[in-house]
Amino acid sequence: MNTEKFLLIFKREYLTRVRTKAFIVSTILAPLGLLILIIIPIILSSFETEQTQKIGIVDQTGSVYQRLSELNPDRYTEPDAMPVDSLRSLVITGVLDGFIILSQAHIDGEQNPELFYTGTGGLSLVSEIRSDLRTVLRDERLDRAAVGETVRAILSMQTNLQTRVLTETGEEESDTLSLFFVGYIMFFIIYAAMFGYGAVIMRSVIEEKSNRIIEVITSSVKPFELLMGKVMGVGALGLTQFAIWSVTGAGIMAVAAPLAALFLGGNETSAPDARQAAAQADLPFSIPTIGAEVWVVFVLFFLAGYLIYSAMYAAVGSAVDSESDANQLMIPLMIPIMLPLLFIGNIASDPNSTFSVITSLVPFFSPMLMPMRVAMTPVPFWEVALALALCILTFVAIIWVSSRIYRVGILMYGKKASFAELFKWVRSN
Amino acid sequence: MPVIQVQNVSKTFEKTRAVHNVSFEIPTGCIYGILGPNGAGKTTTIRMINSIMMPDSGQILIQGRVASPETQRVIGYMPEERGLYKKMKVGEQLMYLARLKGLSRQDARTSIKQWLDRFEASDWIGKEIGELSKGMQQKVQFIATVAHDPEIYIFDEPFSGLDPINSELLRNVILELKSAGKTILFSTHRMEQVEQMCDYICLYRKGENVLNGNLTEIRKSFGQNTIILEFDGDHRFLDSLNGVRFNNRSNRSVEIIPDSGTDPQEILQTAIRHVTVNRFERVYPSLQEIFIQTIKNQQD
Repeated sequence: MNTEKFLLIFKREYLTRVRTKAFIVSTILAPLGLLILIIIPIILSSFETEQTQKIGIVDQTGSVYQRLSELNPDRYTEPDAMPVDSLRSLVITGVLDGFIILSQAHIDGEQNPELFYTGTGGLSLVSEIRSDLRTVLRDERLDRAAVGETVRAILSMQTNLQTRVLTETGEEESDTLSLFFVGYIMFFIIYAAMFGYGAVIMRSVIEEKSNRIIEVITSSVKPFELLMGKVMGVGALGLTQFAIWSVTGAGIMAVAAPLAALFLGGNETSAPDARQAAAQADLPFSIPTIGAEVWVVFVLFFLAGYLIYSAMYAAVGSAVDSESDANQLMIPLMIPIMLPLLFIGNIASDPNSTFSVITSLVPFFSPMLMPMRVAMTPVPFWEVALALALCILTFVAIIWVSSRIYRVGILMYGKKASFAELFKWVRSN
Repeated sequence: MPVIQVQNVSKTFEKTRAVHNVSFEIPTGCIYGILGPNGAGKTTTIRMINSIMMPDSGQILIQGRVASPETQRVIGYMPEERGLYKKMKVGEQLMYLARLKGLSRQDARTSIKQWLDRFEASDWIGKEIGELSKGMQQKVQFIATVAHDPEIYIFDEPFSGLDPINSELLRNVILELKSAGKTILFSTHRMEQVEQMCDYICLYRKGENVLNGNLTEIRKSFGQNTIILEFDGDHRFLDSLNGVRFNNRSNRSVEIIPDSGTDPQEILQTAIRHVTVNRFERVYPSLQEIFIQTIKNQQD
């Protein structure tokens, strides 16, 4: 490969893109989009809780309803004494969302209370009512048994499990949940990047073909040099975008936590670290620390995945005349990108299971799965190194096949290539 | 030494035999025309000379070296389907393409400036290609082909789609390049362009080279068997002639190709009886006639 020509192509591919509006807009919009994806479910779930379901309580004990209405006056109501049939029709017509008949047997623990309801309100309604009933029935039993304060205090004590992860340098307090959250986000960023940057490559190949400039270019450079320059140039563009996001992200983190602490916590803090500041301010969320090694793994696997998939996208682009013709050829490319979606549940529930280890070593999946595992749990170095080595080998194989398809495809016009033809192109001299 | 040597070259695409066992040589400093109908294999041959494709068998030598990405440097190539980056500025684009051909930044800048001045196009340097008219784009394309000052110029159907002004400009530049000692190869399916410009020709038919060599010598070898007749009067008398064929017939002139048994003097006498004869000349055959006869001979 002629390095000078490669660098010229690399520079052009990078510079013409980094100056475009599309680059600036996508750099700003992508994190906003991600933020919206995270925030919207939170906002939506807060809407849901505002809506209260009315549950009628027919209290045959004379004391439990009192307790329930103290606990949650909006939810529980005591309808005038009426036959069960009328209660049923109240629920059916929507006046009530459900009813419960409470009797002495429930306090004695001989029977479980029954909730009759429309089936709406979801799991959260049922579990909330269950927990309310547990609380009031327990208090009622304690009162009736005249239990002393000490016992009550013991009973209302709660135990929370805190986790500390042992590392070679010592122990770290870790918030497993937020680490999983980081893992998920990394998965989806790389997942989206494979589609996004792959499409950029494919469009660029198709553009050169439909512009017909390809013949002028290939009369000066080898198709392989053009392909590599393009793939690397767009890859550098991706890294630039990631760098911008990381720096602004770190900046926002550094500023946001003390600010949030100021508004939410009230007590001023001079902690230098955002995480400490958040902890001091007793915020309702914790800011996970993303270790440098997680970050490095993330960037390395982003690059590995990008290289593998962009080489495939380039081959597809060279075999068609327009983007709309590409759909059929895209299938073998979409499947390996999308399959890991099926695995993330299993991997999150046990990031160190044999299944997790094996799937995260498969070259087409590891760019998405390995950073996720590394974020969630300590992964042995050899696994990461092996996965990366396999990715590089795969890239070498793919770029070889792709460049052979590309070389023939860029000069073919007018007919849609089938897989059989692509195979012939690979073998042609 | 011939600057380009094509030796027994074949190229097949799946089941199509695009080029079959073609050989010819292009002497240094001439204008060489590759002729033939569309789909005869001209573009495939040109792409192989440019090392855009590799021959299945046979070999191509450029200045004595086997055609490879290294020999691309000495060739300037304008494909039949013209193309440039629409969103790139004229100056940046010309610089990029010249640098890909191996020119230094400084040399490229000097050369591009000279050519833009020559075509009175210096004002476009900061414009995107997409903003230019078709005629302007053609000029930029031409500069992109020649800016690295190669020894060999290859134009695939250079005159197709050109307006008359650009056509004339291109003709003049090609003749100029020739007098500067450069070698020019172009393909066309229009005979009259070749007759006007080419020193050597190569005739293609269905992927095969059916005739090649020095144009003057080829014509001589066919003998002075063509009659050019120019006249005033009713051209329908031509229909009464027997044992002849016509090329380029119009109501004022015609090329007559008599069969071997036909006496040209009889044609002249018939003509004088019907019309005023302005010109009656026995000449070497036109390229079109050569082409027709060559193909006919092959089929016999």
